[in-house]
Amino acid sequence: MKAKYANFAKKATALVLVGAVLTGSVFARPKKAKNVKIGVLVSDVSGEEALGFRAYYEKYIASAYNVTFKYTEQLTNAEEEKSAIEKFAAQGCKAIISLSSSDRVTQLQTCSDYKLYYAIASGMLEDDQYEQYKNNPYFVGQIGPSMETEFQAGLEMGRYFAAKGVKSVSIYGAFIPNPMHVYRTAGVLIGLGATYGGTNDKNAVVGQLFGDSRVNVAKISSPKVAIKSYFQGFGETTTDELNAAIQAKPDAFLSVGMATTFFTSQLNAAGIEFSDIDSFTSGNGKAMKDGKLVYLAGKYSSSIGPIFAAVINAVNGNSIRDKGNAISLSQNYLVAKNYADFDKFYTSDSGSSPIFDKSKLDSVIGSNVSYEAFKSLVENN
Amino acid sequence: MENQNKKKIGKYRIQEIMLTLMPGIALLVLFLMFCIAVISKEYMLSLYLKIIFNEGVVLALVATGAVFIYTLGSFDISLGASTLLSATLGVMTYNTTENLALMIIVIFATGIGCSLLSSLLASVFNIPVFVTTVAMMSVLSAISAQLITSNGGALGGISIPATLLKGLDNPPFKIVVLALWFAICLFVFNFTKVGRKQKFLGGNPVCAQLTGISVNKYAIIAFVMAGIGVALGAFLTIVYTPSVTTGTAGSIGMNILVAIVFGGMPISGGPRSKIYSSLVGGFSYILLTNFLKIVIDGNAGYGISQIISAVFFLLVVYIASMNYRTKMLPR
Amino acid sequence: MLETKPTDSNPLLKVEGIVMTFGTIMAVNNVSFALQKGEVLGLIGENGSGKSTITSVIAGMQKAKSGKMQFKGKKWEPLSMIDALHRGVGMVVQESGTIPGITVAENIFLGETDRFCTKFGFLNKAKMNQEADDVMAQIGAKDVRGSMLTANLDFQTRKLIEIAKVIMKKPDVLIIDETTTALSQNGRKILYNIISAYKKANKAVIFISHDMDEILNVCTSLLVLRDGKYIRTFKKAEFDEDEIRTSMIGRELKGDYYRSDFTASRSQELALSLKNVSYKDRIQDVSIDVYKGEILGIGGLSHCGMHSLGKVMFGALKPDCGSVTRGNGNPVKDEASAMAQNIGYVSKDRDVESLVLQASVKDNIAIAGMNKYALGNFLILDNRENAYVDEQIKTLSIKCSSRNQLTSQLSGGNKQKVVFGKWVGRGSEVLILDCPTRGVDIGVKQAMYQLMMKLKAEGKSIIMISEEMPELIGMSDRLLIMKDGKVMKEFARSQSLSDADTIKYMI
Repeated sequence: MKAKYANFAKKATALVLVGAVLTGSVFARPKKAKNVKIGVLVSDVSGEEALGFRAYYEKYIASAYNVTFKYTEQLTNAEEEKSAIEKFAAQGCKAIISLSSSDRVTQLQTCSDYKLYYAIASGMLEDDQYEQYKNNPYFVGQIGPSMETEFQAGLEMGRYFAAKGVKSVSIYGAFIPNPMHVYRTAGVLIGLGATYGGTNDKNAVVGQLFGDSRVNVAKISSPKVAIKSYFQGFGETTTDELNAAIQAKPDAFLSVGMATTFFTSQLNAAGIEFSDIDSFTSGNGKAMKDGKLVYLAGKYSSSIGPIFAAVINAVNGNSIRDKGNAISLSQNYLVAKNYADFDKFYTSDSGSSPIFDKSKLDSVIGSNVSYEAFKSLVENN
Repeated sequence: MENQNKKKIGKYRIQEIMLTLMPGIALLVLFLMFCIAVISKEYMLSLYLKIIFNEGVVLALVATGAVFIYTLGSFDISLGASTLLSATLGVMTYNTTENLALMIIVIFATGIGCSLLSSLLASVFNIPVFVTTVAMMSVLSAISAQLITSNGGALGGISIPATLLKGLDNPPFKIVVLALWFAICLFVFNFTKVGRKQKFLGGNPVCAQLTGISVNKYAIIAFVMAGIGVALGAFLTIVYTPSVTTGTAGSIGMNILVAIVFGGMPISGGPRSKIYSSLVGGFSYILLTNFLKIVIDGNAGYGISQIISAVFFLLVVYIASMNYRTKMLPR
Repeated sequence: MLETKPTDSNPLLKVEGIVMTFGTIMAVNNVSFALQKGEVLGLIGENGSGKSTITSVIAGMQKAKSGKMQFKGKKWEPLSMIDALHRGVGMVVQESGTIPGITVAENIFLGETDRFCTKFGFLNKAKMNQEADDVMAQIGAKDVRGSMLTANLDFQTRKLIEIAKVIMKKPDVLIIDETTTALSQNGRKILYNIISAYKKANKAVIFISHDMDEILNVCTSLLVLRDGKYIRTFKKAEFDEDEIRTSMIGRELKGDYYRSDFTASRSQELALSLKNVSYKDRIQDVSIDVYKGEILGIGGLSHCGMHSLGKVMFGALKPDCGSVTRGNGNPVKDEASAMAQNIGYVSKDRDVESLVLQASVKDNIAIAGMNKYALGNFLILDNRENAYVDEQIKTLSIKCSSRNQLTSQLSGGNKQKVVFGKWVGRGSEVLILDCPTRGVDIGVKQAMYQLMMKLKAEGKSIIMISEEMPELIGMSDRLLIMKDGKVMKEFARSQSLSDADTIKYMI
């Protein structure tokens, strides 16, 4: 009995000691000099694009501007987004940059409640939402591809392969019904010369894709390019679906996102040319140089630089407003169709010398920066 | 000899009491550790405690109702999906009718209805109830996803006006809801025939049947209680964020099991089941995960906190099962 | 110096100073004895005396807290029951030791199926079944085939499988722990033959049983334990029933063991009525009337249908035809309606059907009587519940450390008392008792018989289903003998009624 009691006491003491050591380790950390903390909401933690963005912020911007970026883990719903913002507020963050889109309106409102500046990087609110909140002083703005830009990116991709003379394709719809993937896919179908549900009108196709929550191959009519297979998402059945897509022996595999993260090696091994919409990262460069990636619509990893500049201005009391409203600027995609193109884009936006480097950003950080100057910087790079 | 025996009985009782109190002690220790961590990082403690409460309250509400199911020795992994569907139909109802009362009715009807369906299917087809809940989880998630995406359109989610329930998004209201629900469950579980019978049923269904306790009837009651918990959880989810996406309430299903085990609930249910395990365990789990995220720098430790939580979970199960290892007279 | 059983110089098994505790319970307190070759040692004592505990230590089920053992002159510390069996000490346990979902052969050769595998790893089932058939035939149970599914076999046949499994290994010491209660006449005969063979082969048997007649016939010596301590040994020549009983319980048994009267008595009021009841092939067109204030005995071989009849009376089995009604004509539809009409049921399979082992004494007793102490018929308050339970603990002298003690930690007799408390406490007017004294020592048995008489005097009806004819003859006002699902004969209580009169209607 004594032995058992002693054993129990040992276990309980061990638990408490572990807790104390862990807690004590917190005390042991040296205190950093006070700098501006910015929280970043992310829903994608592993994709090439996401990793590129993070490297830019944490390795370049953080050291250049005495800011600390605090990233969330993968956010999957609106409650997690709101909770993350509240935690950032508790941690002393001054602003939130959002790369997560479960519920941007709630994100904005929450930031407003906690007096945090809020900005959307690489994405946009719906038009009516923007109109409703553009006057909110805590809404710094949004810079990213609009839904129209997303549609165009898909359209150009579809047209490229149609012009190239492919007779058949397999399509990967990424995470439909994610809105940007829906718009991209609609663009791809229309660019290939197909109709969906009897129509090739952008809004009609988009509406149907939302309603179907996927691409229903039976609704596609594509006289010039046969759509051999379609799949979306990523999970237990993905391997089988990819294999089926490869075995259909399409001339090309068209992806509206994440293909370079998930399928590069398999597509390279199968010798099938493929396309994607992503970022200019070293991983993607390798796929283009040595593999079968032949078309990449991408963003610079540093494309989220300007929104940071707008945010830091707001934090420092120098908000840039568009006639009193939050900034809303569209960023287009750049397209690399070969490695030379890719390399040009990539080296111009490398880790130590990104497109939006300190000197460019400094030109729009400070007091008395006009909206026009800011807009010009975003649109001309 | 008698004195020795008395001392032994005393020590034995102390050990039993300590094992019973352990979850509460662990909660207290976790709470203190958490506060120390927050303060030492110069974070805002009051806000963080509010966050903890918000994260834990939905889990605690649903888990408290779920205790009735787990007491029967069963488990239900579709509770997250039911919460999602309840929230979805509630939001759709409001958007169609602009009637808050109707929204609440639909939320409760859906929560209870989903649970009832699970238990009825199990009793009609005579299969273990957790099997039907696996099927229900898939079906309910799929229905919700279909409803959300087809109604959400370009938004990718559906929502009610942000101002509608904003006034209720505060700790006092949520504490009242939680306290009331817990009090009702505590009363039913510990002070009524229903609770007694359910614990007995969980301990030995054959003996329970031969003691006049209808297995199907009490399974249905358990699922109804769980359904009410689901409805309350769905309602407070909408109070917290007025939108519902396909990921809403995604982690509740599995977190309930972790939470109630943390709280001292035996995995096999039965007479040793404790209603407070949901509260204690739910908040312990939330405190632990947040503590780990603060202590293990988030930028470096993606996934590490989950690994540590899993280790804690195994440790808790091991310590709880220590009780069962006391040798018995060979009969 | 502690008293020990007198020994010869080379005992087969020697046990010295064994101590075993479970929490605060001292189950075995410094027990020593020696077992000689050719000896059949009966280990007797009340429930909780330590018999099963000490044999479980010898058989390797658990390790003693202290003490030494020697087997064939060498140190004996088996790692497990399997290890003990392989090295020469085998035990047949009291409760179920077979796995229902597999065949007889798979149970017999559990963990040893490798030797029936071909070189490609396929199991040669035919060979395994054949060997199982041989093993069963060796012990005299030719009807039991290796290919049969264990779940389809009754409890006593499963017991025979366990016996065969142990005997197959030819242990030098065979321990039989209250196995005969599960066996029919035929099964007991098989076991007695085995014991006899062991004696002749100069091996040894440790035999635990509560059946006094059996012990006196089968054993060559008796060792009495009480409260975990060694009391005394009886050699064959010293066997005296009363003296044995006295040493077991530490006092003289006061009063009669069974009933003192030989006159049947009952009220004229009907308590329970069965009319033309049939259930599958187990019960064939049975009609019985039970009256208030009577003890109705039902006996027969274990397959005769009486156990199913008990369940039908309680509404636990729905008859294919016929009716079960209370004295006032209200039907007994299911268990809940039976309980609502104050019928109680004590099952033969105590641990599985009558108790929740992981629940406390309080939970097990209180669950059936909530209507009695609940406020407003739904509110349960601890003080009222505790008072209700404490009354039963006191009345039935249930030995437990507290009402919150887990039932699993009680001895068999005390568990049975808990079951009784469950049904008696709620004021059951009709009590269906199926093998109520199975696995219970004589002290507790006597207490139960006296309780039955008390309930009878209060006008309650007792239906006692049993495979022990002496207790049926000793206690019943009327005795029904069943065979093949039918009531063959009814006997009125009489001083001259004996086993011989009843047995011809059973077989």
